[in-house]
Amino acid sequence: MKLGSYIVKRSLLMLLVMFGVLAIVFAIVHVIPADPVGALLGGNAPPAVVDRIKTQLGLNKPLFDQFVDYLWGVVHGNLGTSLQSGRAVAQDIMEYFPVTLQLSVMAILISIFLGIFLGVFSAVYRNKWIDHFSRIFSILGVSMPVFWTGLILLLVFYYILGWLPGTGQLSLFVIPPDRITGMILFDSLITGNWAALWDGLRHIILPATVLGYSATASIARITRASMLDVLTQDYIRTAKAKGLSKSIVIYRHALKNALIPVVTVIGLTFGGLLEGAVLTETVFGLPGLGRYIVNALLVLDYPAIMGGTLFIALIYSLVNLGVDLIYATLDPRMRT
Amino acid sequence: MRKLLFLMLAFSFTIVGISASIPKDTVVIGMNTGIFISFDPAVCYEVEPSVMVMNIYSDLFKLQDVNGTIQAVPELAENYDISPDGKTWTFHIRKGVTFANGDPLNADAVVYSIKRVLQLKKSPVWLFESLGLNSDNMNDTVKKIDDYTVQVITDKSYAPNIVMSIFAESWGGIVDPKVAQSHDVSGDMGSAYLADHSAGAGPYILKSWQRNSMIVLVANEKYWRGSPKIKTIIIRDMPESTDQQLSLKKGDIDIAWNLTPEQVNSLKSNSDFNIVSVPAQSNEYLAMNAGWGPFKDVRVRQAVKYAIDYDSIIKNIAGGYAIKVQGFIPYGYLGYISDTPFSQDIARAKQLLAEAGYSNGFEVELVTNTTDRRRNEAIAIQADLAQIGIKANITIMQASQMYTKMREQGIQMIVAGWGIDFPDPDALAKPFADYRVKQLAWRMMWYDDHAADLAEAAGFELDQSKRVQMYADLTNYWFANGPFAILYQPLNYWGTRSELKGFDQTVKGYSLAFDLTKIYK
Repeated sequence: MKLGSYIVKRSLLMLLVMFGVLAIVFAIVHVIPADPVGALLGGNAPPAVVDRIKTQLGLNKPLFDQFVDYLWGVVHGNLGTSLQSGRAVAQDIMEYFPVTLQLSVMAILISIFLGIFLGVFSAVYRNKWIDHFSRIFSILGVSMPVFWTGLILLLVFYYILGWLPGTGQLSLFVIPPDRITGMILFDSLITGNWAALWDGLRHIILPATVLGYSATASIARITRASMLDVLTQDYIRTAKAKGLSKSIVIYRHALKNALIPVVTVIGLTFGGLLEGAVLTETVFGLPGLGRYIVNALLVLDYPAIMGGTLFIALIYSLVNLGVDLIYATLDPRMRT
Repeated sequence: MRKLLFLMLAFSFTIVGISASIPKDTVVIGMNTGIFISFDPAVCYEVEPSVMVMNIYSDLFKLQDVNGTIQAVPELAENYDISPDGKTWTFHIRKGVTFANGDPLNADAVVYSIKRVLQLKKSPVWLFESLGLNSDNMNDTVKKIDDYTVQVITDKSYAPNIVMSIFAESWGGIVDPKVAQSHDVSGDMGSAYLADHSAGAGPYILKSWQRNSMIVLVANEKYWRGSPKIKTIIIRDMPESTDQQLSLKKGDIDIAWNLTPEQVNSLKSNSDFNIVSVPAQSNEYLAMNAGWGPFKDVRVRQAVKYAIDYDSIIKNIAGGYAIKVQGFIPYGYLGYISDTPFSQDIARAKQLLAEAGYSNGFEVELVTNTTDRRRNEAIAIQADLAQIGIKANITIMQASQMYTKMREQGIQMIVAGWGIDFPDPDALAKPFADYRVKQLAWRMMWYDDHAADLAEAAGFELDQSKRVQMYADLTNYWFANGPFAILYQPLNYWGTRSELKGFDQTVKGYSLAFDLTKIYK
């Protein structure tokens, strides 16, 4: 199959996935025996008021009509209006997503660094104590709740040692950069606001480490397996026989080839990070998309829940598509 | 190379951040701002944003703690007249007051602001509608008489405190019509703009709101009572109470808003901090569905009330941050009764059950929502009821789901709370005793006409002392017959740094009254 038709096929498949996500999320949020008006008005409002607000919000229409209305809107690029904030959901997403994106990118950088580092060491020192240590260390990352790790790191590095700042994106009296992308680090960099860049970096170290650490294990494991595979290949033996130094053999010859399967894992991990960001954003008080969706869930803000979920599904699919395309370019056997 | 990298890393870690301490004219608050939706007075209805709105906008009246009770006192309405039939209110607006941008505040602005709430029909509108004002009749009921006189006509003669209280809350904030109308988007009367901007005459101006991140209020230098001492108030979003605790101890915030009882108690022995607490404007209650099975019998309902260990709940679950109140009228209110007729008496409860024919007990579903405190209360009550043979099965729900089920009269037994809409006993007597208003009594199917008549009549009584007596009669009848057990009245509490002064005055009457001009450093 040509690369072009492969892309078309994959994109169509992605549309189908998006429709599935939409239908399932719509069904789930409407099956819950509660209504958002109850959440909006709290416990006090009398029934007549509840009914009127329902009518205002179009919630008394038949479910199927509501679904068709929503679908029609989505096809036309309209994700609806948040019941809670009264703003366009797309506008809300554009405000919150850059924070999550920046956090996830920093986290994935940390987990790639940690994961590959640990994976290579494990493979090179297979079954030695370094191997055991790095495996336990990476497994701990998956096992410890992000919530707990986050609070412990805050306690140690912010409260006890005072090396790093507490929650939020910037210190209180640091002038934030002008909003261009919404990602504070990136915006500070392009506007040359060095104080904000430095402060923003110090703020993101803990949340990115917590989130990145949680995703390290899978990358480390695949790197280890892949490295072990590569290290037994003939050309490595040849390289060693040539008398090349150990580090050149490992990093120049082996690692390069071992990294191909790691690319897939990184793609999948990135999607997973978007989910993990929910808790990290809560612990570290970051105004990201994860918190937005959680707040929406608590008050059953249908349009916000659906828009947010759809958007994350889209990002997830796009990342996977990207990974597959990189793969397909690297290895034509994949295009079948 | 490696050494250099290591050194750089070590260096970057050891540079302690420029820990700028908070300036004297600035106050920083750590708070979970997840529920903030809008700062528009016609839209805002949630507790925390409402108290901020009350400091950004000025109202005709203002709620204040007067000798221990919360009362509405004249604010922008310098004085007022009530017609002999009690329905026509004439407000005389204070002259010379301007909005923060210098626009004059006059009768036009007052009429516009009231009509705006009625027309936008958002969450708080029902409080104005409960006085008989609505978008259909507003041109007849809300009128400008001259530049500084406004007339409002209610459908019935309500007790004056009810009317004044309703005009004293966040939805009664007077909005600058020029600003609102110049930002009108497809007929929203500037609502989208006012969600994160302000156009009021209160002591503070909303300078910015980055959602889920930070809210900045700055002093209104044109405030008619004089500009407040604290020039900047920053509210940092901190959803985690542990973060608030750490930041308060570190000196990065002055006020921690959402601490747990354990966290706030940990500040007690340290002179760097103060704990400020005031009675909350709410009740924590257990309710039984009087239309369901065994609870149809008043003796069973009384048995339940005698089975509960109220003191233990207050001490162990509320961490002492609660007042033992058993009537529906809370401490600090007109008509408050300090009687606490119920305390745990297992023998008496068992006897009542036996008289009703349930000596072997029965099974019941006990519903509550997801907060830790509610869950613990439900568990404590479950254990208390087990002692008299009632097996309560606990179901935990999201609040939205719980209230939906309750509105459908589908709940057998519930632990929940009632936040007070305006500081008048009417805001409690009606929900708890008058099924005709379709609030709590109706939801728990307590169709008692005697209680409903008493509650209604007391709402119209203009003679204060007669009114107090009517509420006393109603409360005693309700003790003997009602399907509710008030568990306690919560205390609101905050942890503050000791350099912050006057916060105890700021929160007097919270959340109905909240005055940021009282704080200083």
